[in-house]
Amino acid sequence: MSGKLGAVLAVMALLAPAGAALAAEPGDYNIGFVTENTGPIAFAGLSYWHGAQLAAEEISASGYIGKGAKLGLVDKESGSDPARAIQALRGVIADRTVIATSCCILSPVAGSLKPIAISSKIPLVIFGATAPGLPQAPFVQSMTILPGPKDVATAKRAAEVTKPKTAAYFVAADNDAFKARMAAAQRELEAMGVKTAAVVSVLSADTDFTAAATQAMGVKPDMVLVYATQTPAVGIVTALRARDFGGTIVGNDVLSPDPVFKKLGPASKDVMFPISFSASMVKSDAGKAFVAAYRKSFNADPDIYSAQGYAVAYFIAQGLKSIPGKPTREGLAEALSKITVLEHDVYGGERIVEGQAETADTLIVSWSPEGKLAPWPSAQ
Amino acid sequence: MEALADFWAAYQSTLGFVVVNAFFALSAYAALSTGVLSFATVAYAAFGGFIGAQLVLQTGIDPLLALPAAGLAGAGLAYAVGLLFLRLEGHWMALASLALVLITRVVVLNAATLTGGVNGLSVPYEVSLGALVVLLLIAMFAFHRLSVSWYGIASRAVREDPAVAASLGMVPRRVQTIAFVISGAVGGIGGMLLALTLQFLAPDTFFINIAFTMIAAVVLGGSYHWVGAVIGAAVFTALPVVMQALVPAIQDVANGAALLLIMIFVPRGLFDPRALALRRTPVAKAAGGPHA
Amino acid sequence: MQLFIEQLINGCALGSLYAMFAVGFGLVFATLGILNAAHGTYASWAAIAALYATEQMGLPFPLALLAGVIAGGVLALVVDQIGFQPLRGRGAGMMGALITSIAFWIILDSLAGLATGQQSLSFPPGTTPSRMLHLGPILLPGIQLVSIGAMLLVTLGMHMLMRHTRFGSAMRAVGWNGTAAALGGVNPRMVVVATAFLAGATSGLAGVLAGVATQNVSFALGQGLMLKGFAAVVVGGYDDVRGAAVAGVSLGVLEVMSAQYLSSSLRDGITYVLLLGFLLLRPRGLFGRAAFVRA
Repeated sequence: MSGKLGAVLAVMALLAPAGAALAAEPGDYNIGFVTENTGPIAFAGLSYWHGAQLAAEEISASGYIGKGAKLGLVDKESGSDPARAIQALRGVIADRTVIATSCCILSPVAGSLKPIAISSKIPLVIFGATAPGLPQAPFVQSMTILPGPKDVATAKRAAEVTKPKTAAYFVAADNDAFKARMAAAQRELEAMGVKTAAVVSVLSADTDFTAAATQAMGVKPDMVLVYATQTPAVGIVTALRARDFGGTIVGNDVLSPDPVFKKLGPASKDVMFPISFSASMVKSDAGKAFVAAYRKSFNADPDIYSAQGYAVAYFIAQGLKSIPGKPTREGLAEALSKITVLEHDVYGGERIVEGQAETADTLIVSWSPEGKLAPWPSAQ
Repeated sequence: MEALADFWAAYQSTLGFVVVNAFFALSAYAALSTGVLSFATVAYAAFGGFIGAQLVLQTGIDPLLALPAAGLAGAGLAYAVGLLFLRLEGHWMALASLALVLITRVVVLNAATLTGGVNGLSVPYEVSLGALVVLLLIAMFAFHRLSVSWYGIASRAVREDPAVAASLGMVPRRVQTIAFVISGAVGGIGGMLLALTLQFLAPDTFFINIAFTMIAAVVLGGSYHWVGAVIGAAVFTALPVVMQALVPAIQDVANGAALLLIMIFVPRGLFDPRALALRRTPVAKAAGGPHA
Repeated sequence: MQLFIEQLINGCALGSLYAMFAVGFGLVFATLGILNAAHGTYASWAAIAALYATEQMGLPFPLALLAGVIAGGVLALVVDQIGFQPLRGRGAGMMGALITSIAFWIILDSLAGLATGQQSLSFPPGTTPSRMLHLGPILLPGIQLVSIGAMLLVTLGMHMLMRHTRFGSAMRAVGWNGTAAALGGVNPRMVVVATAFLAGATSGLAGVLAGVATQNVSFALGQGLMLKGFAAVVVGGYDDVRGAAVAGVSLGVLEVMSAQYLSSSLRDGITYVLLLGFLLLRPRGLFGRAAFVRA
């Protein structure tokens, strides 16, 4: 009897050090978070921040990094202004408890902060900027699910289902990412034989879209595609429906958060768009748990932004976990650049390719009359 | 000692921005010292900044060597602006310069070969904090020499009363044009320094923010002496950082409130040569006590 | 042809909002000599107040509109008395007032952001005149009719006030020279207070209507109005209400038409180049009086 017990104990003793090697030393580890909770895109900034907060709490409570190792967040507000963001980043870098940093929704701000993180030799994980090519090994990675490739697939699908003869495009003329996305979708549709009836430019700071909608309606398009940030996109959809445009509107992921449905109401019918994450269509267990916990903590459903913020914290935690003993900033950067698959993700599968996060599926959805996201076209 | 090093690491970039904003404030002061309120520094900064950045990007020379080019670009633009705008009366001049700021943004958005258009321009070169401080000291010295020269007296006269100055033989228009050229040179250099500090120029970089920052700096610090511009820049740049450290939840509101309080209590600015001079007069000394 | 008329109406409605805002902004500039950077926030806050009146207090649209207008006026009054009044005694001039207005702009903008939860809110469906009228084949949103009507009322009313009443004369006198006006029997304090309230109220009206028309109530509402209103004041001449109104409407029409028929990406550029052209060639604006510098 004691022999068997002894054998079991011996096996456990062998395993224990191996288990301890896959965990960081106990202590407080902080992520320096440059938040954008005020300013023009605060609605998204707050979502990213809440997602990260939830993840940090879970990681600390479950001992994911290691026993007694806690993950915290140190935040400094940047208001989406590059000068403030630079000062915020330097502020968190100077904090000795900060082991990694995270930032940026706007690509120009990310462009300003990248060189600082690289020269200060601290990992920077981008949570929202959509410009491709931002990651730079080993210090800069991005958890943003890039929207570009999905746009083309969505436009193609919409054209296959509704078979339009002409299409009108709305584009935010002062946003290069959206211009490129529109151009890609336009090429795809023209190759399919859908004529471009009009391209209407709006500016991201515009608030009145009646004239732009009238301009598009004037060419009587069968389908309309919108490539702009949230406020203009919502304004355009509202204006089009108010002027009795009944055709399909192809949007983008900015139309996915719940407050958008509240604003659009009945105008959201036949407005479809691609997203990487939806609280009402989540399939994996981790995803469902995320939705439930987010609802409990913040009284609202998580959106694509919350999912990305959540991924940032788990990504950094996964890196920390793989370093035995006391992690350093550079050591963490090396570890992060080696990660190719996220262990704990809410998408049902998230890969990291050359520092950029990717998901396998594209969900093409639209709003149901009850305000939930459902696959498009809805089963008739 | 460690705490001091941490403090320095956290706030060194703020000092960098203080220097850059001081250049913009000095540029605004240069025009204001001859009685002209002009927001056109934003345009000079944009022009100098983009030209200087492109020069470094295309030829790879040391950024500090490209600075004079930025200054010259700014000065050239300022000369042209002066020719067009100086014949306008005070209020209109201010409005026209504000309109110029708005136009600058449209030009930046559309001149993609120079400015990168909506993409912005990445400037992967930096300038050390030491170099920035040295440059500011040089600028301050230059302003000091100007203020005690013929030009300084002429500018004060033109500001006080252009009609009297003209009757004394100074040509207000000429003095103001010189002021504009100085303003342009300083603004252009400031623009390039901003490019090197942010390391990325977006279309919104040279816009209303800079216009308000520099005017606020000049007024806060005191618009009657060039030292005021530098002091004001330091206060206006450091204030949001202080508020973020003290009351992060309401930092923006606190920033505005602090500005408001300064304006209410010290409307002539923090550095007011007249108030300082008054305090040193014999009247004050006599009233001071038996040691007079 | 249908498109042309529809866009013309769109332009007039948009321009009416600019015009109403410009009237208030120009009033402050002409009478009080202040370039008020915080003026846009009065519009944002008026829209927020009207939204609150509709959602929380269940008031019908006309009353909510009134609530917004009064909120704008009261806010302008408060800003003037707290911020600008202390400066008047000390002669800090236009620049001191400009900095104070920047301070208020920062404060009021961030408070508006807090009040709206950093979101863009909209009026609940059915509470505003959002019906689409059909004039034959032409679509006319009901709110556009309200905007144009409001602009005509405001312009006419302000013009009558400024040119044909004693109070209007008092306002113009204070704008010209406060001390002389006081010597002439005018109470400058009352005039300043009334001017501030009126300016805030007209901006508030523009703000509420803009919030309804664009279904976008947020702290960014005032910003857009501010820039275009400023352009309208410059082009129209700041001491004549009719000039500001005509310029505002023209700018709106120009904006819409140039986007439709020329190029929608150069839309703002055309506005600002026009602005600059006016400043260089005819600085007093379309209707302004030539200003002569007091020796």
